[in-house]
Amino acid sequence: MTSRGFISRALASALVIALSLTAAVSSVRADTLVYALYDDIKDWDPAVAFSLEAILLRNVYEPLVRYAALEPGDPSDTPPIEGVLATNWQVSDDALTWTFTLRDGVTFHDGTPLNAAAAKASLDRTIALGQGAAFIWDGVEEITAPDDTTLVIRASRPIPIDLIASAQYGAYIYSPTAAENGTDWFNQGNASGTGPYTVAGWTRGQQIVLEQNPDYWRTWEEGQFKRVIMKVVAEAATQAQLIRSGGADFVTLLPVDLLQRLKNDADITVDLAPSWINTQALINTKKYPTDDINFRRALTHAWDYASIATEIYQGTADVARGPVPATMWGHNPDLPAPAFDLEEAKRLVEASGIPPRDRKISAAYVGTAAEVTNSLLVFQAYLATIGVELQLRPGPWGKIWDDAKNLRTAPNMQVLSWWPTYPTPADWLQGMYRTEDPTLFNLAHYSNEEFDALVDQARALESTDRQAAIDLYARAQQILVDDAVAIFFADVSARYVHRSDIEGVEKNPAYVGVDFYSLRRRQP
Amino acid sequence: MLRYALNRILLLLLTLLGVLVITFIISRVLPGSPVEMMLGSRPTPEQIEAARIALGLDQPIWVQFFAYLRDVLSGDFGTSLRTGQSVISDIGARFAATAELVTVGFALALAIGIPLGIHSAVKPNAISDHAARSVSVIGLALPVFFLGLLFQLVFHGQLGWLPLQGRIDGDVMLDTPFDPVTGFFLIDTLLAGNLTAFGSALAHLALPVLTLAAATTASVMRVTRNNMIEVMSQDHIKTVIAYGLPTEKVHYRYALRAALVPLLTVFGLIYGYMLGGSVIVEYVFDWPGIGGYAVNSVITNDFPAVTGVTLVLATAYLTVNLAVDLLYQVVDPRLRVS
Repeated sequence: MTSRGFISRALASALVIALSLTAAVSSVRADTLVYALYDDIKDWDPAVAFSLEAILLRNVYEPLVRYAALEPGDPSDTPPIEGVLATNWQVSDDALTWTFTLRDGVTFHDGTPLNAAAAKASLDRTIALGQGAAFIWDGVEEITAPDDTTLVIRASRPIPIDLIASAQYGAYIYSPTAAENGTDWFNQGNASGTGPYTVAGWTRGQQIVLEQNPDYWRTWEEGQFKRVIMKVVAEAATQAQLIRSGGADFVTLLPVDLLQRLKNDADITVDLAPSWINTQALINTKKYPTDDINFRRALTHAWDYASIATEIYQGTADVARGPVPATMWGHNPDLPAPAFDLEEAKRLVEASGIPPRDRKISAAYVGTAAEVTNSLLVFQAYLATIGVELQLRPGPWGKIWDDAKNLRTAPNMQVLSWWPTYPTPADWLQGMYRTEDPTLFNLAHYSNEEFDALVDQARALESTDRQAAIDLYARAQQILVDDAVAIFFADVSARYVHRSDIEGVEKNPAYVGVDFYSLRRRQP
Repeated sequence: MLRYALNRILLLLLTLLGVLVITFIISRVLPGSPVEMMLGSRPTPEQIEAARIALGLDQPIWVQFFAYLRDVLSGDFGTSLRTGQSVISDIGARFAATAELVTVGFALALAIGIPLGIHSAVKPNAISDHAARSVSVIGLALPVFFLGLLFQLVFHGQLGWLPLQGRIDGDVMLDTPFDPVTGFFLIDTLLAGNLTAFGSALAHLALPVLTLAAATTASVMRVTRNNMIEVMSQDHIKTVIAYGLPTEKVHYRYALRAALVPLLTVFGLIYGYMLGGSVIVEYVFDWPGIGGYAVNSVITNDFPAVTGVTLVLATAYLTVNLAVDLLYQVVDPRLRVS
């Protein structure tokens, strides 16, 4: 046989082998769920994780309590907190001592029993490490375990421990035995929680495999997924193809135009539900010319709220009212609807007294977000009609954040998406608008003593007199609107895109991703 | 020969030092803070300050450089800010994936491109020559990402023959595990006698390899053709043809051999380029290789990873070229004499 003959025969047989194997390769087993992630997991340590890790962690670890999903339209003034690892909890009259009764007969994946000492060790470690979202426990003075099922958390000032303990970051209870191995051990793809799934394998940059925890404290039923493969698929078009072909049951990264196309496919369900993510264009209150309140107000009237929500976001966002999303408790529903009114905008620009040659502003934003880019292009065009020039400054987050913190390099406007670490309106009001020195996320560089005082008082009342807190938060939100510190334009919807035979998808704004335990595959 | 090789290796080390200095400086003077990458979505000021000190970013840049140089010389490339893993282990996990993809793609490109190039060269301006050249123009002109998406649409979306993305089927990997001896799945699965996994790896390799090979085949074919045309017009080839030797023997034994020296240089460059340049193919097919890692590191200002990956790629590129230069001595007897 000549060498050429050999090569062509080898190629031909390789192709035959490949093709004959493909049928087996592309089918997904009925009891396996495939979930497409857009990036790999970085921080496996539940004390440190503070990003998309929550999608994984929520299925492997459990908190003491959780925020229960609300049906759309439910009143949201009382956060619906329900027990997970705690069955019962009480707060003392002075709102400083919280006593949790723990669930009996629960073990961690490594066999260590869950008891008060383990929960204490877990929370103590998270707080001591001081990384990730550990700051949510600020104000906790001491955690004690008087007996096996009683966990006492004592605070130095009134803080809403029930809400804090329901956070999707920094509040998971993990095995103290496992934690002795340290963060490096976790970061090799190890985990030990009490959750319904255990980590069976991690191939870096490719996939994480979860399997049913046979000793889970809730019962397993027929039809629940035995195995979950979380696949890293970075490209949106690839995710779209994967869900079309059935190679994935869930996808997580789809731009709105692809979303519209997938909606027409009967095998694919595209659901939108309220999330607590909102997007705002913060207006720099210290930098000329946006340090002028009339000029800032003019900007808020040059934004075409309704068209941007319907045309650019294509219905995947609602027009925001104020800084706190409409489905978060404490949102002020009495805030006026924002008005797109170019006449009024023009009048306010003139009233500001800023000379025409200085009517130039800049807006910085993360360049990869198509919706934000397009919204700003529309805004730029409208501003041009009233004689204001808008310069767009897209960039990677690391760079624009660095610029925005420093008043010298800060833009006049900074587009920022925000979501809470635990369910409280204070996350927005304190995190983005309370006076800061040095500046971290108050990228409007806003400082108002009256506002600061209202937020501080409301926070102190969250655990003792929630209604009073809500009233104070409402006033604080009104102040931000009056001072035109931002264009509040989008309460972004969460997108749940999955194969139509998947049932039981719980849509909960407090947690990213889905609860794999509640899912079933409908049998044909 | 030995002295020549030693000279070249010394030169290689000097070049690497240059690469190290340049990438270090560029990655450190780039605007933007990498710290936020490390700390998740909402770091506190204390966490930021602690991270800056831990990374040595509060030190003057030359102090940072010498600390880095010392670490690199002891084999420590630092910890990636984006993945939280040591850069060496990150690269180790991904380099084999790229090497496998590129090697198979390159072999395929050679296997198709060289015979096609020879064929075109010995029958210049025949219909088959025009056809082969047109195809090669298309191969060069079609953007790789477009070709990749096209293959995905046809072979996965429409026909359902081949997997869409990834390196191996998730279930297969879990149910029939095999030891990563070489990091080349095709080899490792065979060593383990695991045919199911071998099939899965091969099927996953098919589309990215085809995509990668398409553009490369075109280059290989054109270079081969040009060099062969030149050699075929030379006296010694005319002589062997006049002696009446079989055509195949003339083409492959005499002409190709004479054309091989300049070809080797080009092929070396192509292979080296593919190692770092397979980024787009890796991105489209979620191939867990070094290219995608490099791009993500650059985007997120993950400077330990950027410097590490640049060094590794530069080393690979220079090593391939060094190997090619040494191969000259084997291929061209005249060099051995001198």
